[in-house]
Amino acid sequence: MERRKFLALGGASLALLSSATLGNPLKPSKSNPKFIWVILRGALDSLHTLVPTFETELERHRPKLFGGIKEDLLPISNGFALHPALKNLHQWYGQKELLPVVAVSTGYDGRSHFDGQDFMESGLGKIEHDSGWIARALENKGKSGIAISRSIPIAMRGSNRTTNWFPSRMDGSGEEIYQSILDLYQYEPALANNFEKGLKMKASAAGQMDSSRPGAFPELAQACAKLMLADTTLDCALLELDGWDTHNRQAPRLNTKLAELDKGLAALKQVLGPEWDNTVIAVSTEFGRTVRENGTEGTDHGTGSAMFLAGGAVDGGRILGQWPGLKSKQLFENRDLQPTSNVYDWLVDTLEQHWKLNSTQLAHIFPTAQARGEIITRRRPV
Amino acid sequence: MTKEEYIALTRFGMGVTPGDLRNPIAETGKTPKQWLKQQLSPLAFDDNLPSSTDMLRSVADYRKSLEGAKKSQSNDGASAHKKKLRSLRKSFNRSQNTYNNNVIQRAAAAHQSINWRLLDFFSNHFSVSAVNAPMKALAPTLEREVIAPNLTGKFEDLLIAVSQHPAMIVYLDNMRSIGPNSRIGRRRDKGLNENLAREILELHTLGVDGGYTQSDVLELSKAITGWSLATQRDGNANGFMFRSAMHEPGSRRVMGRSFHQSDVSQGEKILKYLATHPSTARYLSLKLARHFISDAPPASLVNKLQQTWLNTDGDILAVMYTLIDAEESWSNTPQKFKTPREFFISALRAADMQTLDPQMAQFSLTELGQAPFQAGSPAGYEDTAENWLSPSLLTARADWSIKFAQRWQERVPAVNQLLNQLFGDHISELTRKSILRAESKQAALAMLLMSPEFQRR
Repeated sequence: MERRKFLALGGASLALLSSATLGNPLKPSKSNPKFIWVILRGALDSLHTLVPTFETELERHRPKLFGGIKEDLLPISNGFALHPALKNLHQWYGQKELLPVVAVSTGYDGRSHFDGQDFMESGLGKIEHDSGWIARALENKGKSGIAISRSIPIAMRGSNRTTNWFPSRMDGSGEEIYQSILDLYQYEPALANNFEKGLKMKASAAGQMDSSRPGAFPELAQACAKLMLADTTLDCALLELDGWDTHNRQAPRLNTKLAELDKGLAALKQVLGPEWDNTVIAVSTEFGRTVRENGTEGTDHGTGSAMFLAGGAVDGGRILGQWPGLKSKQLFENRDLQPTSNVYDWLVDTLEQHWKLNSTQLAHIFPTAQARGEIITRRRPV
Repeated sequence: MTKEEYIALTRFGMGVTPGDLRNPIAETGKTPKQWLKQQLSPLAFDDNLPSSTDMLRSVADYRKSLEGAKKSQSNDGASAHKKKLRSLRKSFNRSQNTYNNNVIQRAAAAHQSINWRLLDFFSNHFSVSAVNAPMKALAPTLEREVIAPNLTGKFEDLLIAVSQHPAMIVYLDNMRSIGPNSRIGRRRDKGLNENLAREILELHTLGVDGGYTQSDVLELSKAITGWSLATQRDGNANGFMFRSAMHEPGSRRVMGRSFHQSDVSQGEKILKYLATHPSTARYLSLKLARHFISDAPPASLVNKLQQTWLNTDGDILAVMYTLIDAEESWSNTPQKFKTPREFFISALRAADMQTLDPQMAQFSLTELGQAPFQAGSPAGYEDTAENWLSPSLLTARADWSIKFAQRWQERVPAVNQLLNQLFGDHISELTRKSILRAESKQAALAMLLMSPEFQRR
């Protein structure tokens, strides 16, 4: 909304927004395919998540870590199995709503989390803090996106089509004061723009949280889905879950984290309801972890990891990507899982099919990526 | 208040407080630059809050109860342990609130607030997060025990003190990092953990583009094997302890230089070398300029700081003098959007509010987006506007300001006078008029806090 128009409407616009858009989810519309990116910050250990049980080397590389879960794994296909905590994902695989991709990387060649995440979020094949790939995708698609976070992550920076929201424990009931504050920003476009967007989300999100743990991932996922249903211009969302940097005590920590992830993804499906069939979720992490367990019952920073595509719009029930093997000479630098494909390439296929973006647009979003031509989404009647 | 005085108080200090006005810079006979330089000094926490040694004892109790609860055969036995765990967790939470309030209150009341800004800078540079119960107990002790006293000394002393502090050793898993060829390493199936070494190179010294390789990470991690902590089995000893039985024998080569020492001095020598390395000088100079002056500081300013760093082998005081002397630091237009922490502290200073409710700092900073010791990564919180100026966070600031103004209003006799005290002439006509026209005192004070002039420095 233009600032002037907003000012003219004043507090009334806020009230209008909150009552008109709540509790009135629109019917699923094929013209609004939804895309949600979940970033796992801290580097997910894929070998503990999407486990190649056929690998004879696995037990030798990680006796404690593999030994601890091998009895309870949830088999999918080709000898791969999911971690026992991923119950919903396992079910989705059977329902053809999950597409795991093995041995991926973004092409980032260092081992710093922060650079690795910035690299992954920029999508430019280099570190760039002002332009994220989701922001560029939104510009090309002409859609808006929301980050469920306090700050806007790099992936969504560089476009005016993004906003963010995070649950607050302070119930400001100061609509008149909001307006007076906004009046101070007449010559301050950055402040005005952010404040207007924040107020809009606040009005839309009011009353959405009914949880004692509003900041926990499953609750954030739930709120995210509600916000997307309430505002039909929001066809894209970004969720973050951190805590994957398991240098020590990996087994119990991943039991908790993976269960949290699984529960959050299930919350998205549940709240999105009929819109689930219209949704693709991509889950990815900045890099992988060492194939061998370390001296403190954990794993250190590595290279290749896994990604997951999920959703009712996904043509799932298959495992994508090429498995590189775990023999010492097959490892990257005799230490990490060797990546065999690039995260961006899979995202190019996904955006091409799900958002119908053309090759020029895709080249703008991911200049270093190559389309793979793999089928990601279900064919829909046009 | 001249423009230079205003900048000295807001950009270098933590914001104008009525205390500053009772002792105006002008009356000291010093220029703002001289005034700032004379203020720079280490900080001391001479209160009776628990030390890291106290906390380590509680952490040991905590771990014992954790083990006990797991192993206990009977329900009664387990529930006794669980009760103990609950009470310890509660006490860690309480102490965290106490620590946070304590630091914030002192920063809010300080006359020499530039030191508190510098403390926040280094505390974030050496960020430790309260990721679990033991870290909740330990994280707040790092800045109090080793950053504050080393605030204006040589960076190498600060770096070594931080790297040997229990909070950092526990946070980055060095306690059980064992050299594979050490006495213990050969006996047991345990090994290296490269976490601390990597972050020292990447975040604390050279910076990620500082020219180090995986081999440097490995070599440094071997050099600091044995950098551990005393446990109850070590008798009366407490805190940092070098365990030679865990130390990887042999020379190490880091960033092209060899280190032949065979004890704790090997790691210390490497850290000293790193502290004065040109990449470290570059990285820290950029971070300091970015923190104090501008998200995109002029190259000329960074160069000046770097030159001083190299000339003085990383003397923080000398580098700060250069920063204060540099023309680039005094640009008339404020170029920093306050972080949530800066905003919070400057609001307390503006309101002259020096006693806080027990949970105020923790609650406020969490809601404003920068909970203490919750950066969640050893990189600390970001220091630029693109991270802090977001729809969600700006709205949170407004909500917080409205609440805060409600408490503040009864102590403000005249808004007009307050505006003069806090801003002098350094406020736009639009802001001044709008605030004075506000429909209530609460609205006026909330607007003051949310004004562009107060949000930036």
